[in-house]
Amino acid sequence: MLTYIIEDDKVMGELFSRYLKGISDTKIFRDAISAINNISEDKPDLILLDILLTGPDGFTFLNEIVSYEDTAKIPVVIVSSLKLKAEKLEEYNVSRILNKETMMPEDVKKIAKEILAKSESSEGKNE
Amino acid sequence: MSVEVNGIFVAAHELKSPLNILRQLALSMELDDKKSLEWTKSQMVEISERAIKQVNDLTKVARLEDGLFELEPVSIRAVCDDVLKELRFLYRGNHRGVVEKYTNKSRLVIANKEMLYSVIYNFCSNAMRYSDENTKVAVSVRDKKGKVELKVRDYGPALPTKIWKELKHGFISEPTSIAMRPGSSGLGLYIASKFSKFMNAEVSAVRHRDGTSFTLVLPVSSQTSLF
Repeated sequence: MLTYIIEDDKVMGELFSRYLKGISDTKIFRDAISAINNISEDKPDLILLDILLTGPDGFTFLNEIVSYEDTAKIPVVIVSSLKLKAEKLEEYNVSRILNKETMMPEDVKKIAKEILAKSESSEGKNE
Repeated sequence: MSVEVNGIFVAAHELKSPLNILRQLALSMELDDKKSLEWTKSQMVEISERAIKQVNDLTKVARLEDGLFELEPVSIRAVCDDVLKELRFLYRGNHRGVVEKYTNKSRLVIANKEMLYSVIYNFCSNAMRYSDENTKVAVSVRDKKGKVELKVRDYGPALPTKIWKELKHGFISEPTSIAMRPGSSGLGLYIASKFSKFMNAEVSAVRHRDGTSFTLVLPVSSQTSLF
């Protein structure tokens, strides 16, 4: 299992990676472009996405991945301090929204476990 | 939204960002082993110090018109040395290097030492933050048409065009909207631009395909340098 962490703050990215230790391998990207350049090759099982990034923002990234057949269904968890409305993100494959101001390390772990378990079981069914 | 209200909004947002990270670092401490705990502690100190510096600079910006700050002959080389000395460990820890080149014959510029320090610190810490790993930031000082030019060149993502356009006029009129330069240097550049204007200096930026150069052009002091 592989999780992409797209977060422009180095420390925050490192913390997310620590939270996922033992749950998933991780790759940290500090901007959307470098994640987009690698995603079709890596095909991660989950993406933790910050919205306010240096350069193209998280929405640009979401638009990009949903437009390709091989990446459109990768579950995304948005981690941001922006107040986002779930209904506005319906067109993207956003599973959950975590608020940076209130989230706990356990929230990240729990959500990642749930989503990865689901995708593992659906992969098993497809085989 | 008025310029003042927008400024407060952007400042609040930028100061919220280090607080969010500090909160996560504090929460993560119970997951840390001894080695990770050291890392967490050092990050907490570094982030707090950066935030304190930014609050101090903001306070100064608010008091620029109070006549509290004087302009005097300042050795630009000495200020660069102080800044780079302070940032040395941060650069090393982030796997970035610095190359310095001083060719200026005019040693002294007219400036406020604290503000000049803040501007150079802002340029150099931004350059570190936006440089790719294992690249070297180039800091150079040279004479330019009766003035002194300081240039900080980084190798990473180029500056957003909106900020570049504002800097083309030599001044950022208000703190950059969070949508332009998310969670990063918008406020720092605004502060640097305010300080530069106060010191009769010019700030500009050049976008390269592989990074950005920030320059500061300062008036020369006619006083003989003792350094």
